[in-house]
Amino acid sequence: MYVDLNVTIPAPAIQPQKHGQSSKKSKGKQQQAESLAQPTATVAFNAAQLAKIESRIDLLVRLGYTVLALTQNAVSKVDTKTHTNTLDALLPNLRKREGVLFLKRLTIELDNESEKGFGLTQAATQLFSSYDIIALRPTTPSTLSLACLSHTTPSPLTAHIISIPLTSPQTLRLKHTLVRTAIKNGAVFEIDYSGALEDNDSERRNWWAGAREMTRVTKGKSLVLSSGTESCQLLRAPRDAGNLLTLAGLAQDQAHHAATSTPKSLILRAQTRKTYRAILSEPKLIMPETNFQSLIAKETQSEMSVAASSSQPPESPPPALPQVSENEDVNPHSTTVLPVPPPQSSSGAEKASSSTALNGGANGKKRSHDQLNLDELETPTSNPQNATSKNLHPPNGGGGEGSGSRKRKKKGKDKT
Amino acid sequence: MVRFKNRWLLVEFIPCTKDEPSYSPSEGINSKHIWSALKDSIIANFGDSGWGAVASSLTVKYFSPMTNLSIIRVARDHHQIAWGAVTLLRTVQGKSYLPNVIHVSGTIKHTQLSAISHNRETVARIRAHSKLPALYRSTIDDYLEKSTKEIEALQD
Repeated sequence: MYVDLNVTIPAPAIQPQKHGQSSKKSKGKQQQAESLAQPTATVAFNAAQLAKIESRIDLLVRLGYTVLALTQNAVSKVDTKTHTNTLDALLPNLRKREGVLFLKRLTIELDNESEKGFGLTQAATQLFSSYDIIALRPTTPSTLSLACLSHTTPSPLTAHIISIPLTSPQTLRLKHTLVRTAIKNGAVFEIDYSGALEDNDSERRNWWAGAREMTRVTKGKSLVLSSGTESCQLLRAPRDAGNLLTLAGLAQDQAHHAATSTPKSLILRAQTRKTYRAILSEPKLIMPETNFQSLIAKETQSEMSVAASSSQPPESPPPALPQVSENEDVNPHSTTVLPVPPPQSSSGAEKASSSTALNGGANGKKRSHDQLNLDELETPTSNPQNATSKNLHPPNGGGGEGSGSRKRKKKGKDKT
Repeated sequence: MVRFKNRWLLVEFIPCTKDEPSYSPSEGINSKHIWSALKDSIIANFGDSGWGAVASSLTVKYFSPMTNLSIIRVARDHHQIAWGAVTLLRTVQGKSYLPNVIHVSGTIKHTQLSAISHNRETVARIRAHSKLPALYRSTIDDYLEKSTKEIEALQD
């Protein structure tokens, strides 16, 4: 499952136009065709452009990529009045391919003019919500710090990819603090492998220098490998491009992650733009048990199971109330009434040695998100320790959920 | 044990005429041309020292112009240099190609298996494209048999 996050799509002619200003197609960077009069211009790809795009996508699928993010480029700033999502017009026209996932991405190239503002404002959130991923391409040190520090914080406008041009003569000095902050916030740095295949000698050499610098500063994590070109000749298979990165200083498994798992988690994280403060969870309400008797019973039952041996008759965990009398005398023989599942009692001794019920939660940290939910919810009495802490304090259940999801969020962002 | 370890690269050279990739067979290219193109690429990208690391063990064992499939053997220690040079190749004998490394393995056995299955998939694709009925045996299938025998005959 290889992911290519930068399949550049040239801007089509936007119709209708007052003066025939067609889009210029230079290497990966386009000027947006300006339509002056009509704010809602129709975007149409002509047949030749469509054919080219289709053949490029065919080639990418043949080389082994299954997830493609089609990229629309914007230079300097996004004019919120005239900007249209050209990919929305393109996607319905593409042939249906099974097993291939298409995503929409917007890359904004930042230069000196964009320091004051380039359209990524709260007011224009509607415009950017139609893109799955937003990427920034800083070309000056000030825009680099702007991108790394302010635009990676969780919001509906987060730019999750920071793509630094590697073929330009002045390689940006990547300050370690900036890069570290961006990575901590969840952003990812992108390396376009097409720079290594350029005709121009000096661009190639700059690419090698830039790629090595990137791998050094990011320590190999939070890197994403992508093509960045419109030309079919410069595309390469994912493992080939990964091998180029190993020659630039990455370890082999890091290069593999850069093409598979890092972009996958990035895409998932990019979906958090639609959530509040980048929290991905489905909290389920745990209704608190209001029967005081049952709570006391479970407390004593946990004490007894810790003390008792593992000679309990097998019984299923109960949602119902145990029939126990008011006087809870700690009598081992009365445990037959209390439904304690035996495997838990034998492991209860083990769990008694572990101090907190959060041990279950700590194990849950390694489990996936769904499992964390299910395990906490469906077996509330499975862990006798859990029975005391979680059921007695139902907000803990919610807090457990929240902390579980927070753990999950942190885990995703740290990528450890 | 000081055994000499190799890596076998299964590379498909996709001909890329006028910026459009195609499946067509290539004319006038043989394994010697591939070898010299690879040598030029290594010297241009990795210098004389890169060539020195790889030269004694670099061999193009098999090349089929019909399917553009080639099997290249390199020593294991510096196979990444040779692999990188394959990736950075853009032209062979003046014609532009797109190198696609399908399989990398440590023995010839798995390379052979991978090559044979790749050929079978290519032939199946060609047959599906030209909509041949299932039992019709055409020249493509003869070629498949012949190339399978050639591949299996390869020796270390």
